[in-house]
Amino acid sequence: MPLINLPAFAGDLLADFERLKTLRVDTPVIQPAEPFLDMAGEDLRRRIFMTESETGESLCLRPEFTIPVCLRHIETATGTPQRYAYLGEVFRQRRDGSSEFYQAGIEDLGDPDTAGADARAIGDAMLVLAHRLPDARLKVTLGDQSVFEAVVAACGLPAGWQKRLIHAFGDQKQLQKLLGELADPKSPGVFGPEVERLAIMGILEDEERLVAHIAGTMEATGYSTNASRSPRDIARRLKEKLELATTRLDKAALSVMREFLAFDLALADAPAALHQFAGRSGLKIEDALSLFDARVAAIAKVGADPGVIRYRAAFGRPLDYYTSLVFEVEVEGTPAVLAGGGRFDRLLTLLGAREHIPAVGFSLWLDRIERAIALAGSAK
Amino acid sequence: MTITIALPSKGRMKDDASAIFERAGMKIVAVGSDRSYRGRVEGWEDVEVAFLSASEISREVGSGAVDFGVTGEDLVRESLADVDARVEFSARLGFGHADVVVAVPEIWYDVDTMADLGDVAADFRARHGRRLAIATKYWRLTQQFFSGSHGIQLYRIVESLGATEGAPASGSADIIVDITSTGSTLKANHLKILSDGVILRSEACLVRARKATHEGNPVIDRIVAAVRAAL
Repeated sequence: MPLINLPAFAGDLLADFERLKTLRVDTPVIQPAEPFLDMAGEDLRRRIFMTESETGESLCLRPEFTIPVCLRHIETATGTPQRYAYLGEVFRQRRDGSSEFYQAGIEDLGDPDTAGADARAIGDAMLVLAHRLPDARLKVTLGDQSVFEAVVAACGLPAGWQKRLIHAFGDQKQLQKLLGELADPKSPGVFGPEVERLAIMGILEDEERLVAHIAGTMEATGYSTNASRSPRDIARRLKEKLELATTRLDKAALSVMREFLAFDLALADAPAALHQFAGRSGLKIEDALSLFDARVAAIAKVGADPGVIRYRAAFGRPLDYYTSLVFEVEVEGTPAVLAGGGRFDRLLTLLGAREHIPAVGFSLWLDRIERAIALAGSAK
Repeated sequence: MTITIALPSKGRMKDDASAIFERAGMKIVAVGSDRSYRGRVEGWEDVEVAFLSASEISREVGSGAVDFGVTGEDLVRESLADVDARVEFSARLGFGHADVVVAVPEIWYDVDTMADLGDVAADFRARHGRRLAIATKYWRLTQQFFSGSHGIQLYRIVESLGATEGAPASGSADIIVDITSTGSTLKANHLKILSDGVILRSEACLVRARKATHEGNPVIDRIVAAVRAAL
């Protein structure tokens, strides 16, 4: 059924996708709501349109395509590597713009050549945008969580702090707050009276005794039968928390971290700058950097203009299934993000795939592209 | 123009609210029988009273269907988006005290703050194959507090309309967000309140719908002044 509200360029865009050797898929508009809430968190609930099936299953109008495309891939047990393309309507309440709009994109599942697949995703996004907006100067922002993770690990912080920082990556405010706390720990952590009692009794230092004590208390209070966290989980996290409380990042390490997060430079200059930075600050992050270098080289190979791509070290997305590359494409001088994407190596296993499937993809905001085309037309 | 005040239709809240209005020189009498759902204020011809359930009151004030309401701040903040733009908390009435709190199992020795909870939530999925589950009837307050104030996104809300304290022990959720006045029910269920886990210190309030017609209406100011003077 042809839809009369489709953007005028939809046909040309699909032809581009076909030339890029992707398999066009469609997914139902009505989707189970659980996977979206599970992956994106409870905040999404306010923005998606939910309903219930007769049997009480939570359903929603498709808020995006990545999760449905991945679920379909798992259900149909299609082999990898496989490149999917989609174009269709999504439903989501936004601060600006209508809450039903078109998105299109490519999901590249299972290609073991990560650098090559990353580069192709960026190149394809730039190519299809350039075809729609031939006169516009595109601007690409690129970030990489795995480099940040390597820097955090190389700074020698305890595991609990590493987790906190990595979890906050992409959320500037939260990250700066954590760094502030690391530099100047105001409170030594809050511990309940029970923990102080255990410390006095000497149980706290001995993990086995602590686990036994927690298990015994659970038994006595009748809590154990349904306990979601095991005595060992609690004991280990308590140890982690004691470390969190006593860790202080020295001035040098803090300034290394801040120096790294401030990087904002042309992608072509980034490999050299990062290697110099690692050498200067004595950080062992070669593994992460070699992946980064391979990606930069692959981007040049797919023919994407590296001159319009900037690397911003602090750029990330606060969703826990993005693992390394993230990128956004805008038209130079305008604030609207026309395409966004990244690598989500964890998502397919989280959604129930039995084997590990690396994945990278991007999606296009067709209504914003339409507006950009109209703007370019009126400027002529 | 007649001003409508919505009051709780039964229980302690009704008695306490009536007592305050009486002290304020606004004695409330039921129209018709004692069980009538309409009332008036002796000597205030331009004021009428509607007796409603507590949750209806917050909704009706939010929509502007009534001018004033007496109900718990927790219910108002839970049921209305953009609450401070839509209503004004004109007076805190000093009864119906209850806190909306985040409570976790006592045995979680490693969790005493929201930051601890954020750490636990962040890798809950990797360890247990599902998100941290929160039992509550306070969807909005929970979301605002967790995501807005503490940057915690990775959790799921499990709706609970009664006996929420029992959810962690029964296994239907890991932690709860619930109302408590003395904390004794939480204690009996082996739950503890996080040290920074008080979302709201609620009490009964006189709440006014922000309506353009209230501008310059002397009756509005007189009602607020009379109630404040009676506290």
